[in-house]
Amino acid sequence: MIEMVAPMTPYERAIAAIQNEPIDELTASPLALALCRRLMPEKVTYREWATNPTLCAESFVKGVEHWKLPYTVTLIDLSITASMLGAHVRMDTENTPFVDDHIIHSMEDYEKIRCPDITKGRTGNLIEMNRELAPKIKGKSFNIAFLEGPLLTLTQAGGAERVFMDMFTDPAPVHKALEQTTQLCLNTCEKIAETGAEGFCWDYLWGNYSCLGDPEYAEFEGDKYAKKCNEKTRELGMGLGIHNCADLPHLDTQVKKFGVDMYSMAYYPLIPGSPTATEVIEGGYADKCLMMGNIDPQMFVRSSVEQITETTKNLCQEVKTALCKRGLNGRYCISSGCEVPPDLETKLENVTAVMDATHKYGAF
Amino acid sequence: MSKEAILEELAQAVVNCKADLSKAAAEKALAEGINPVEAINEGLVKGMSVIGDKYAAHQVYLPQVLVAAHSMYAGLDILLPAIPKEALADAKKAATVVVEGDVHDIGKNIVKTMLTAGGYIVNDLGKDVAPSAIASTVKDEGIDILCMSTLMTPTMDNMKATIECLKEDGTRPSVTITIGGPPTSPSFAEEIGADHRDNNAQDCVNWLKG
Repeated sequence: MIEMVAPMTPYERAIAAIQNEPIDELTASPLALALCRRLMPEKVTYREWATNPTLCAESFVKGVEHWKLPYTVTLIDLSITASMLGAHVRMDTENTPFVDDHIIHSMEDYEKIRCPDITKGRTGNLIEMNRELAPKIKGKSFNIAFLEGPLLTLTQAGGAERVFMDMFTDPAPVHKALEQTTQLCLNTCEKIAETGAEGFCWDYLWGNYSCLGDPEYAEFEGDKYAKKCNEKTRELGMGLGIHNCADLPHLDTQVKKFGVDMYSMAYYPLIPGSPTATEVIEGGYADKCLMMGNIDPQMFVRSSVEQITETTKNLCQEVKTALCKRGLNGRYCISSGCEVPPDLETKLENVTAVMDATHKYGAF
Repeated sequence: MSKEAILEELAQAVVNCKADLSKAAAEKALAEGINPVEAINEGLVKGMSVIGDKYAAHQVYLPQVLVAAHSMYAGLDILLPAIPKEALADAKKAATVVVEGDVHDIGKNIVKTMLTAGGYIVNDLGKDVAPSAIASTVKDEGIDILCMSTLMTPTMDNMKATIECLKEDGTRPSVTITIGGPPTSPSFAEEIGADHRDNNAQDCVNWLKG
């Protein structure tokens, strides 16, 4: 039974939603990340945002102030750990940085991978950004640091196609490399924990049934490498989050077996088997943690305020009904499932519309 | 060894992800005087279709698909040069490409594989390719089908820019354009003037053949 509760601050709401305590309204937190740079008083390019910890932290603060975001997920891009292994990252002025030159060209190259000094380079910048951000949003927004997981780190550095083929034909060197990428992840997680981050979100993208089956995922991430990352996160006292914006995620493994606190996922209406918000809640996943989804990120670019408001309204009603039937409180956060496109064309007012519509239609 | 046995060897080499066996069976097929087109269609493609069906049914996953495709290409490298040019006169030409600003090509490569398995002559233009370069190739090589993909949002508009280039040089009416990639949608395809958008490679090939 859902109780009526007094109005909460975004931060109080964020905590209550994770803990499945009574809540005044659903949480809403679209993954507005690099988009926040557009809230800065002076123009900040994507490249500047991704490479300047101070500008990046300031922009996240602006996002919290402007949209009253209950959660702040500090995802920069998915090439940070790969860059630390020597992969070349292309940084266009206004595009998400990405790896354009991989480091695996032979099986011997896997053996050459070593965990780098994570206090330098892009992980150093990420740590510094989190250090600057944490005190500024403390008590206002639940601060969730973000990092690529061990397998994503390796595929980003080595090239997904190459790594996947080698997983099948010659797995031993791949495992040796994964030991090193896991160490990179653990070391970064430890340093970020010192900054005051309250949660830590791992990107375990490859745990999806379009790419890997259960045995493959268990062998190459779930049973060993992700397990270490999850345990380390807990040991450091942070809330454990997973982001997986792939289609058909391994929900049983990543939500139920891993025992997470927050799970951010996307919904693909055109892909058979992609679970709706209702199906996720009915499937018992919101019993275990705060589920976050599933407004199509493209709507933030291409829809009108009226359209995205209507979508948010419908999602709020769907979620509240399903939560009520399940006897849960606010264990579903209205989010975007994947990053709100950081493009210059993305409509900032559409993020505002999602926040406003959730306030209006997500109230209990 | 009978023709049927050699064709079965080719198919099984792909199904079992054995590039060396695929190459050996392809060489055997030519040595035994088997028509290379038949060896491809009744051997390699048959094997790749088995993998494609299993992938669609979630019985095998991406690593196996990629290694099976590698095995198919090992056989194709032997068989394709042996096909007389006139035998390919009726085959449709397709081009696959990741548009400028993006290098994520795993999806594009699977489309390339399934198109090849579907009997198309595929020109893979690669990744991070400028709209004007794509349009020139389509025009110069008489491409019938253009398959564009991107994983990232900021680069989606380069699909539109490519179609604009094709319109400008008058090639658009003669080419079927399909797009793919997580941020794309059927409505986006319609908006930019593409003919189709699909979720996966197999369905895309089925649509093209339908």
